[in-house]
Amino acid sequence: MKRTARFSAAAAVITIAGILVWGAVGVSLGDDLLKIGAPVAATGPTAREGVLTKQGYDLWAETVNTRGGIKAGGKAYKVQIVYYDDQSKPQTSAELTERLISQDRVSFLLGPYGSPATFADEAIAEKHKMPIVITEGAADQLFQQGYKYNFGITSPASDYAAVMLKLAVALKPKPETVAIISADDLFSIEVGNAAKSWADHNGLRVVYFQKYPVGAADLSAALTSIRSQRPDVLISSGHLEDSLLVMKQAQTLDVNVKFYGFTVGPTTPDFVKALGPAAEYVFASSQWSADVTYRDGIFGSAKDYNKLFQLRYGFEPDYHAAQATAGGLALQLAIEKAGTLDPQKVRDALAGLDVMTFYGPIRFNAHGLNLSKPMVTMQIQHGRLVTVWPFDVAPAKPIYPAPAWSARR
Amino acid sequence: MIFNTDVALQNAVNGLLIGGTYATVSLGFSLVWGILNIVNLAHGAFVMLGAYETYWLFTLYHVDPLASLPLTAAALFAFAYPIQRYVINLVIRASFLVTFLLTFGLELLITNIALAAWTADIRSVTTVYSGRSLLLGPVVLPLVRVATFAVAVAVAILLHLLLTRTRLGSAIRATASDQEAARLMGIPIAHVYALTFGIAAATAAIAGGLISLSFPIYPAMDAGYTFIGFVVCALGGLGSVPGALLGGVILGLLQTYTAAWLGPNYDNLVAFAVLILILLLRPAGLLGRVQRFRG
Repeated sequence: MKRTARFSAAAAVITIAGILVWGAVGVSLGDDLLKIGAPVAATGPTAREGVLTKQGYDLWAETVNTRGGIKAGGKAYKVQIVYYDDQSKPQTSAELTERLISQDRVSFLLGPYGSPATFADEAIAEKHKMPIVITEGAADQLFQQGYKYNFGITSPASDYAAVMLKLAVALKPKPETVAIISADDLFSIEVGNAAKSWADHNGLRVVYFQKYPVGAADLSAALTSIRSQRPDVLISSGHLEDSLLVMKQAQTLDVNVKFYGFTVGPTTPDFVKALGPAAEYVFASSQWSADVTYRDGIFGSAKDYNKLFQLRYGFEPDYHAAQATAGGLALQLAIEKAGTLDPQKVRDALAGLDVMTFYGPIRFNAHGLNLSKPMVTMQIQHGRLVTVWPFDVAPAKPIYPAPAWSARR
Repeated sequence: MIFNTDVALQNAVNGLLIGGTYATVSLGFSLVWGILNIVNLAHGAFVMLGAYETYWLFTLYHVDPLASLPLTAAALFAFAYPIQRYVINLVIRASFLVTFLLTFGLELLITNIALAAWTADIRSVTTVYSGRSLLLGPVVLPLVRVATFAVAVAVAILLHLLLTRTRLGSAIRATASDQEAARLMGIPIAHVYALTFGIAAATAAIAGGLISLSFPIYPAMDAGYTFIGFVVCALGGLGSVPGALLGGVILGLLQTYTAAWLGPNYDNLVAFAVLILILLLRPAGLLGRVQRFRG
């Protein structure tokens, strides 16, 4: 019996070791190497988004390496990204960041998925004076710590709410009431609060405003309350798993609103796949879409990036993947501008960066926040995501109001 | 806080329906804990496997999720029987901590293999009738959830009959109450243990199949359901089918009404406050008998 216990312990250890190091971009020996660390979730509630992040990073690294690497000080460095699975846990993410810096001796960091993990990791980066390019953390709080080494390329959390509500009030008949529900995490709460404040200042009446725990198994009570308030607009601020649950239960509990707006979820490929026709008419705020008209010298236009990603992975990228790639690109451009791997000089180059990329303009303010890039609103129409706002870049018109569930059969 | 009778009534339905799912999740967990004295941390992983099996049968072969339940249950029985017979049985007489660790290792192994095989993609079984519901005056009855509840009750009744009315049930209960006496009566203990574990896994698989109809599924979903099994057992009492049903429904109603009245963020807070209260007043759960201490 002892042997069995030992066997199971060994099996557990092997499994843990296996999931800890979940892949690194292959680099041939003999090149000058630039090691970059990234603690990204492969398991836990945000594993799906974590995988998209990793795919975005990998695509950047592969593209740089096939083009000869990052050029700095007369040398070309091949990029090697060292990944660890932070299990969607901020505490684990911080420990892995510490390990990447002190044991793996990485030169720079690319951020984890999600604001809570980013919040933990950026503190470690700051302690070691190591630049971290934040790609998947949009909470405003991340940039209010007085740190000098964190640079976030996404538009801030408050934009997620505003971009959808701005569209909503531009539609006819003009909505008057809104229900807001958010997951209880740093980012989602900020979005929820921003939605409430935007609504309050722009004549939309907030009839329901609640939080739910991250990874909630059942939200039928919340949706029952929302149903009784008959709002015109529903803003749901959570992550993919939550968004699926809200939409499924809205359908089965016959909750009818004119505008279903989600922050995270509908732009990932799983959303339409999992919900089928029930995903129709859903609006989502998005950091990026292939319809935007930006371009750069490495990835070309947003459409070119879209094609490249599809060629590599077999499906269209959403903004999670695009901003991961763009984060790598921002780091690359800063290193090349600095002409050295010296962390202090690269930090200064990041701080002074002002570039256009396929993802949009990247220019950081004094807090390390990129305020120069607008967001877009997308809608699921006939099973596909199309950009519907801002109207001047949008190839499709929004469909509104969404028909009642009883009229959809 | 929003209060009116229509909402209160709808929440009674919501709580009852989710409670049925909780009960199905907990039946097997309670059986294994009460009879084998194993806290099976891999129970949620069995639920997850059941959910995926239903998903794949539906997606690849268009088998209706409710029709595939017996098949899913049989497959998990076949998967779990040898695990108990040839792995867990070897350490069953060791300290509680050893089986605890072993099932924890199993859980890690199963979920990580699932993650490698099926990726972290979040999936969902969406049938043509998935979104349908019946309107009963002010109350909405989601069809799938009602069907889920009916299956949950049916499974509970069948399991109860199996335990109380069959020779196998007598053997299982005899083994639980006095292992030595049962052995002397000629009951093959190792076989009975493995059967019990297999039956528990089969009910977990049914729970998983039912869950896949209403909730998103992904490899890491298991932990939440093991946890629910734990709470429901503590509420209702160990090793008893009515206990699991009662515990499941109480947890479902508690969470739903708390979410409706105080906000969804407080549902676990209140559920656990009540759990602590019950543990203080009735340590064996509402329907449980105080267990004989087994060293």
